[in-house]
Amino acid sequence: MSIINYAARVINFKIVYYGPGMAGKTANLQYIHRCLPGDNKGKMISLATGDDRTLFFDFLPVSAVGVRGFTTRFQLYTVPGQPHYNMTRKLVLRGVDGVVFVADSQWDRLREDVESLRNLDDNLREYGLDLATLPHVIQYNKRDLGSVAPLDYLEYLLNRGMRHVPFFEAVALEGNGVFDTLNTVSRMVLVKEFGQAQEVRS
Amino acid sequence: MRLHDIVIHESDAARIDAILRRFLSDSNSSAALLIDRGGQPLAEAGTARTLDVGSVGALAAAAFSATAALAQLLGESEFSVLFHEGVKESMHVSTVDEQTILLAIFDDRTTIGMVRLFAREACASIGAVLEETRKRPKLVGVLATPLTAEETRRASDHRPA
Repeated sequence: MSIINYAARVINFKIVYYGPGMAGKTANLQYIHRCLPGDNKGKMISLATGDDRTLFFDFLPVSAVGVRGFTTRFQLYTVPGQPHYNMTRKLVLRGVDGVVFVADSQWDRLREDVESLRNLDDNLREYGLDLATLPHVIQYNKRDLGSVAPLDYLEYLLNRGMRHVPFFEAVALEGNGVFDTLNTVSRMVLVKEFGQAQEVRS
Repeated sequence: MRLHDIVIHESDAARIDAILRRFLSDSNSSAALLIDRGGQPLAEAGTARTLDVGSVGALAAAAFSATAALAQLLGESEFSVLFHEGVKESMHVSTVDEQTILLAIFDDRTTIGMVRLFAREACASIGAVLEETRKRPKLVGVLATPLTAEETRRASDHRPA
């Protein structure tokens, strides 16, 4: 649910990084925060437990080039991945415009990936949204580890909804795939909001 | 619960700004911030202009949402007011409507009772303005035509330094 303020000439979008615990959602935001130029980012806020597990959310506002004189801000949020924090995840999803589903590629985490994706769909429905229409992408993270499932299998497992969505292989700690993921979901959110003009070929 | 888009046109912004300034003057609060419950700031007045409103909005909305969820666990629809008392500055958050909240920051030049009283009035007035904004078209003026592929690419091109 974007917010357009014609007086302040600002457009705000909310993008939520969702996925099972320890999949690398916070690592995505930390890398973005570390690497973006100062003018394109705000302060990163992390509400975490003492051992750095996300308790409520991480928050990072970012922006690229504006649109027709309007500043476009993308507010990036993560959710806590552990199953028992579902109330909190639901609160963070409020007003979401786009989702990055961060999956853990390791064989022994695939069950959690599937459960988290199902949980995302359930929670979105409470806001009248669903994955068939909401802009979203999938990031298969931790591709550098030895015990990971092949990409085809992950796609079969997690990207078999009504539409096939863009996906990215990533090593979020090192930044591989992080900006491709962010830029693609940002683009999808913009197209959903404003539409895309057909190019005229001469 | 299906949420409405929030669009604030220039005339609505001026009315909201006037209500917030009146609230500051009546209640003697130092700052007022109108926030969408998803965490996005909509308008601000007073010393709120010097705050990191993005961070304040995200945290205040989260605190208010968590409190509302707590209320539901206790069988209430929500706690309509949230109050944090500090040594110098205090914060009062109250419900405007289903989608927005009003945050006031004040110090010992006023009292919680005064802030609560005038916040209630301000929330009702802002709620009425927001109700009108929902009937207005969302994309007008320069935003009325679809973006070109190049505009979309540039606006979504986040790059490491």
